[in-house]
Amino acid sequence: MPDQLDADLLRRFVHGDRDAFEALFRQFEVEVYRWSLAIVRDASMAEDVVVEAFWRAHRGRARFDWSRSFGAWMRRITTNVARDHLRAARRRAMWSLPIVNDVSAPAHADSGVAEAVALALRRLPPKLQIVATLAIIEERPYAEIADALELPVGTVKSRVFRAIRALREELARLGLQP
Amino acid sequence: MTDDERLQQLLRSALAPTSDRQRSRDLWPLVANRIQVRARWSWLDVSLAAVVAIVLLVFPDWLFLLAYHL
Repeated sequence: MPDQLDADLLRRFVHGDRDAFEALFRQFEVEVYRWSLAIVRDASMAEDVVVEAFWRAHRGRARFDWSRSFGAWMRRITTNVARDHLRAARRRAMWSLPIVNDVSAPAHADSGVAEAVALALRRLPPKLQIVATLAIIEERPYAEIADALELPVGTVKSRVFRAIRALREELARLGLQP
Repeated sequence: MTDDERLQQLLRSALAPTSDRQRSRDLWPLVANRIQVRARWSWLDVSLAAVVAIVLLVFPDWLFLLAYHL
């Protein structure tokens, strides 16, 4: 995320200056949206995540950690909001309302396989789904994922391992042997 | 290639990375509206306040106990 911020802008934001908050929003909205879309993989849900994440940032501005960058702080908030949305989506799915994954498969992908993989991914617990998506599909560095999830890098690696194992089992249940 | 690598390759080939996607609308008005909405009292807050008020009406001496805990 772009993080060439002057301290004055951040100080004004922490003190509740709305113009400073809007300036921060304009500077970070694209990256926050991309990060949330990478996790939830649904454009509409990603927009809801962005709004909620900036609202939480505004509400919790007094707790901004000056030792960290604003971008890293936003990434952490966005990850938490995205996880909450994925959990809510899972609960809705239990009541049979479909979860839409509108991030389409690449043109060269077999649509049946892509659908099965997307379904298997959605069936993972959110904490495994997030690391699998960020580490494997989006190919984000482990350190970045660990920072966003407030976890040690080793824990992220172990979750990726568990996610792969769970995905393999889920794909086998769907009749796909990778 | 190991089984894990094959599965990772399958994931990457089946699901597109999202890095080049753009949002469909300006989200700032939604954020601005959201921060302007005052925090509302939930039913739990109202119920708790009502219980405390009733208890204090019945046992006014307990006000000191409440004040001590606040």
